[in-house]
Order: sequence, then C-alpha cells, then structure tokens
Amino acid sequence: MKAVECSQLHAAYDKRVLNTDAEILRGLDFSVEEGSRVAVLGENGSGKSTLLKAISGMLPFEGRISLMGRAVKEQTRREVAATAALMCQLSQVYFSYTVEETVLMGRYIHLNGGFTAYSSKDREIAEECMDRTGVKGLAKRQLSSLSGGELQRVFLARTFAQDAPILLLDEPTNHLDLKVVAGMSEYLLEWSAQEHHTLIGVYHDIPLALKLSEFLIVLKNGRISAQGPKDEVLESGALEKAYDFGVREYLKEMVLK
Amino acid sequence: MRGKQSLKLTTAFVFSVIAMILAVGVGSVSISPREIVAIIFSKLSGNEMPDFINAGKVSILWEIRFPRACCAFITGALLSLSGAVMQSLLQNPLASSYTLGISSGASLGAAFVIVYEVSIPALNYFLLPVSGFIFGLATVFLVLAFSAGLDGNLRSHTIILFGMILSLFVNAVLTLLSAAHSRHMQRLILWQMGSFAGRRWEHAGILLIVCVIGVIIACAFHRELDLMSFGENTAEAVGVDTKKSRRILLVLSSVLTGAAVCFTGVIGFIDLAAPHAVRRIFGSSHRLVLPMSALLGGSFMALADLISRTILSPQEIPVGAVTALLGAPFFLWVYFGTGRKR
Repeated sequence: MKAVECSQLHAAYDKRVLNTDAEILRGLDFSVEEGSRVAVLGENGSGKSTLLKAISGMLPFEGRISLMGRAVKEQTRREVAATAALMCQLSQVYFSYTVEETVLMGRYIHLNGGFTAYSSKDREIAEECMDRTGVKGLAKRQLSSLSGGELQRVFLARTFAQDAPILLLDEPTNHLDLKVVAGMSEYLLEWSAQEHHTLIGVYHDIPLALKLSEFLIVLKNGRISAQGPKDEVLESGALEKAYDFGVREYLKEMVLK
Repeated sequence: MRGKQSLKLTTAFVFSVIAMILAVGVGSVSISPREIVAIIFSKLSGNEMPDFINAGKVSILWEIRFPRACCAFITGALLSLSGAVMQSLLQNPLASSYTLGISSGASLGAAFVIVYEVSIPALNYFLLPVSGFIFGLATVFLVLAFSAGLDGNLRSHTIILFGMILSLFVNAVLTLLSAAHSRHMQRLILWQMGSFAGRRWEHAGILLIVCVIGVIIACAFHRELDLMSFGENTAEAVGVDTKKSRRILLVLSSVLTGAAVCFTGVIGFIDLAAPHAVRRIFGSSHRLVLPMSALLGGSFMALADLISRTILSPQEIPVGAVTALLGAPFFLWVYFGTGRKR
C-alpha cells in the first residue's frame, strides 16, 4: 500500500495564487510506500516545509493527495491527524504549559469530546514518548523555562503521542546537541523499523538525511528535480544541481579535515 | 502538587463568596453577613422574615444591592471569560474581548438611540442594550467578513489589524455624531464609562443565562483552546479543525462581550488582566483558566463596583476607572510577584 500518494499537486498558502507564479508547489507527482523512510531535500525556499503541510491537508491545494489510500480532501482534520502526524518547525510559545500537559495534548484525536478526561492509556503513551525523547525528567517543568533543544524534544514527544503510522518531521533535530541528535536518530530508525511505520522528513543536515532515509525527494523551485533510492539520486548528481553547489565534494572534504 | 492546586481553588471560591458578601453588605446602610444569609434564605424558601431583620434592609438588599452586585459579578465573569478565549484564540496576550471592535460598535449603537431619541415602546428600557448588542455584533461580523475576504485562512494578525482599523473608524463616526449633537454628549459619555447603578433582576437573569451557556460552550472547547494557543499549524497538525473552532469561539466571545457591554457600558481592564492573573496562579490549561477567569473576573468586578459606589459616597465614580486604578497594581503584583518565585 502507498502511505502517501500525490499527483499533480499544486499548493500555496493562499488559494487565490494557485496556478499562478506565486504558488509554491508547482505540480508534484510522487508516492511513498508504506514502511519506507524518505528525506525531502532542497535549498531554502524550495518548498520542503510546504510539502509536509500540504501532505497533511493543511494548505489550499489542487491535484490529489491520498494518505493510506484515502483522499485527504474527503477526510476530517481528526482523521488526517490520526494517519499522519506532522511536527512543524519550532514556533513561539505564548502561554506556558507544563511539559506533561503539552505532550498529553498529542492525544487529542484519541479523546471523545471536550468533557472526557485522558485515560490511563493516554497517560502511559505520553510518558513513554517523553521517555523516548529524553524529557521525562522535565515533566512538571513549564515550557517557558526550557531551552530551544528541550522544547524541540517536547514537541517531538507530542508528535509521537499522536500515535499515527506516518510521521512528517520538519527539521526534527534543529536546536539539538550532537549527542541528542545521535540518540534521536537511533530512535527514529527504531520507530520506522516497526511494521507499517512511514517516516518522511525534511532535513537541513544532509548526512543525517542520508542516514535516516532510503529514498530521496529533491525539490527545486517547487518542482521535483529528482526522486528515487538514495544512492541512485546521489550518483546522478541531482543534489549538486538542486543546491547549485558541490555537495558531495564538500561533505568529503569536511570528513577528511 | 495536586493538594496545592485544590488549596488555590478553595481560596478562589472563598474569595468570591467574601467579595459577594462585601458587595451586598457594605454601603450607607450596612447589612451583616448573618442578616444577608437570613434574608436570602427566607426569600428563596418563601418563609417569613426572621424578627431581627428590618424591612428596609430587606428591600435595600433584595431590590437594589443584590441585583446590582449580581450584574457586576456576571459582567466581570463574561468579560474575563471572553478575554481568556480571545487571548488564546489570537495567540496574543494583549488581545481582549474588545479587540474585534465590539465596544466601539456597541457605543455607536447606543449613540444612535440616544442622539436620535429613538423609542420603541415594546423594548422599553431594553432598547439601549438591544441596539448596543446588535451594533456591537455587527461590527465584529464586519471585521470577520473583511478578514476572511482578505485572508482565507483567517489568521490572527489579519483579524487583530482589521479589528483595530474598524474600531478606530467606528470611533470616528461616534465622535462626529456626538460633536454634532453636543447636548447629548454627557449621557453618551456616561453610558460609555459603564455603570451598574439601577440594574435589576431582569438584567441579572439575562446575563446569567448568557454566562452559564458561555461557560459551558467555552469549556467544551478547552482542549482546542490549549492547542490553538500554540498557533494554528500546531493545532491543525494535532487534529483540531481550527477553522470551525475559531469561528464558533469568535462568535461566542463576541456574544459574551456584547451582552456585558450592552447592559453596562464599556468597562475595561478586567477582560485583559483577570485571565493573565488566572494563568499565573493556576497555569495555562484552559480546563481551569476558563472557569477561574469567570469566577475571579466576577469577584473583581463585584469589588470594583462596591468601591465605585462607596468610596466617594453619595457620589458614584465610574466603575471602569476603579477596575484600572486598582487592577493595575494588583495585576503587577500577581504577574511579577509569582513570576519571581518560579
């Protein structure tokens, strides 16, 4: 089964600019097999984050997007969120909650209406997610007292708590220390090794992207410039074209130095 | 942790009961808590008044102070509940129930009635509130319609910006209107300053119904509000239908403010300060923020009204002046005082 399938996908933040020069995604065709790991690469402004938002049905779009075989347009937000959990880039926190409260909010779709309380299962899952991302010790702390990296891990835990089979991560390792990045990528690999789990990530860090993915989708100016198994895409020189820069040369040099 | 929270809750409840007792007991004729309880008890149960109670006190308490204090309490509750909703909905700690232009709209509505001496006998003394309410809501819907037309995603900053622009525009019309009809200016200004003088049980009854329904609906959305205070993207990603929740809550919040403003005029500060104070004391979770904003906002308003009618007695000072004069230092104390301890 295809976890994600997009055909002729045009997307923008305002539906009036669809099919004009101002649209951001300009007709993408691709699919992601259930159980696979995909990295979306491309330079700043190429439409990577927009693609993740579009996949989860949060933007005005034309064309077709299906998640696990069902069209996004025919689903409610709740149904989409139960299939694909998106973690956006870190945003400003205006009102402070405790870490535990924040992670529990990821269980929103599993609750029935505003007056039901979290079940013990919800609490267990939230706790496990906090444990996995290493923020369990911070459970009672206020978000306003956390560092950027800690905050990032709390939001990651909330995304895991959604318990969706597809994870869409936008720069999940931003703000994290190298050691935490290593631990986190181990966990992401472990998570995606489980049956039916699909991981689609946007990464700035190319070595990390290569570590975490089997397939690459390369974006340039809102179009797919290359896609396929990562070795093929690397060999083809598509990254050099997309970034307009000797990517592989640079990485080799970095390691040698 | 849990024990601390329930201590805080109990304190808040006791505080609000004391506020109400003071609000009905203190004044040129003072009525003791024992008398208050006895009068309420016999009024509600239909029994004879006990002998120790003077008939004059009964009518002062039951006909004047009680309805007035109830109106003040409920108005405070409505304003701060809707302020709490607005702040989270627009992810802006400075947003308030007045951000969408409801107060200027309502003032314009009242101004039309006062200036053109409109009279509709069927509405009687409800004419002013009804026209204020309709104009207030009309302004909000205009703001929302404009914002939605310009920005299909109905983003917070578009709403805030349009609310401010339209408020200023409506205020300008109001200024023109009152300048052209200066003999009505005093009544208009008095209405705008807000007061609870002469409020009756009918007012309190209507406000109470609005308030109870408002609290229930708002609380049903407490999780959505929690999530939306992180921003639209986060809320949607977690599964909230933000467009729907946002529309319902914006309308709710406007109706709550509209009901409060149309009966009492424009009373500022409580809608802004009470929810912030509550978040400081009880945390940000809307499960507590919403009901506690209503409770504490109500208590503050009842006390503010008490002060406004007693401090320069027999003259009354506008309650809006009291809320800001006393509220500002209190707010500083809560906000910065509890902030240091963390």
